[in-house]
Amino acid sequence: MPQILQMAALAAATLGTGAATMTVMNRDVADYPVPEGEWTAGNELDGRSYHIVGTALDTGEALEDELVFREGTFQSANCEEYCAFGWSDYRTKVEGGMIHFTARTECPDAPHTVVWYGTVSGGEMRVEGTWTTRRWYWTHQIGFAGSGSADPAAAVGVAG
Amino acid sequence: MSDPPRSGAGPLLLRGAILILFLLAATWATHLIREALDLHVRPENEQQVHRTIIVGAAAYVGLLALPFVPGAEIGLAMLAAFGAALAPLIYVATVASMMLAYTIGRLLPIGALERLLSRLRMHRAAALVGRAAPLSPDQRLAMLLDGQPKRAVAVGLRYRYLALALAVNTPGNSVIGGGGGIMVMAGLSGIFSPLATLLTVALAVSPVPLAVMFLGLAI
Repeated sequence: MPQILQMAALAAATLGTGAATMTVMNRDVADYPVPEGEWTAGNELDGRSYHIVGTALDTGEALEDELVFREGTFQSANCEEYCAFGWSDYRTKVEGGMIHFTARTECPDAPHTVVWYGTVSGGEMRVEGTWTTRRWYWTHQIGFAGSGSADPAAAVGVAG
Repeated sequence: MSDPPRSGAGPLLLRGAILILFLLAATWATHLIREALDLHVRPENEQQVHRTIIVGAAAYVGLLALPFVPGAEIGLAMLAAFGAALAPLIYVATVASMMLAYTIGRLLPIGALERLLSRLRMHRAAALVGRAAPLSPDQRLAMLLDGQPKRAVAVGLRYRYLALALAVNTPGNSVIGGGGGIMVMAGLSGIFSPLATLLTVALAVSPVPLAVMFLGLAI
């Protein structure tokens, strides 16, 4: 085999070995585990917005966000600053007068996935979730939690 | 006939203790630096971190492949800054870098390689290649084992892939050109087949990143 072909084969073998290694060694991190249940397309929260205050769970960094619901879709103002996630469908289930909601949003320009899970009782919302970035060389996740109120002036807690 | 002087266990234990203390101090210092730099990945800086990692990995591959250039520190710095999650990337980049150096040594005529290194003002690397030029393949292999005990050289000449793995992992191998220099010499020798070399390198450079990844060791 000519030397140049040997080198091309070696380059292909090195790249293949590298790709296989990354596939095996790069551990995925699961998104936020949304509780099981009879989730359906949501509309119970349409027309509402919540001012949320919370923290990033790993670092304790303070977070602040505005969660907006309209026409069966959901948007986080904070996440929108970092990537144009747009409006995403949300799902709900109602148990004992409490509205549970969840949404999964994906950034179109970068490998970010944000999973939300929250509960709404009266005018108060508690929310948790994960921001997960899956690059080819690693998976990085930020967990967050917060709470807030439908009345911006009475906000008590955020996440995002 | 008098017995050869015996070295007691004391100095050995002392060396071991000093090494452990050094590692503990280095780990502590690394954590301090990491905290000081506040290198947390956040949504607002993730793109910047991504670019830094890609540029750093590319620089690592290029520099580590060059003889006498301390590229390994870039890999260690990236592990220290971004943690064990980056170990797979550092491992793959190390293997790629070693194979790049081997390919350069194998593909380029030795005279052209010496001239290229001289033009790049890498005089030590050019001298290394120049010293290897008139030698036989076995003598070039022996250069990789410079500084090893005679018995190790004899074993190395017999089991050349073992010798290559040993040379790549020998602390202080920068004296003979570092990982890049060793792999260039391996390529120049013409006695290492490409696929067996890839397998050898993949195994030889695996202990540190695998330890970091699976045992969670802090760098």
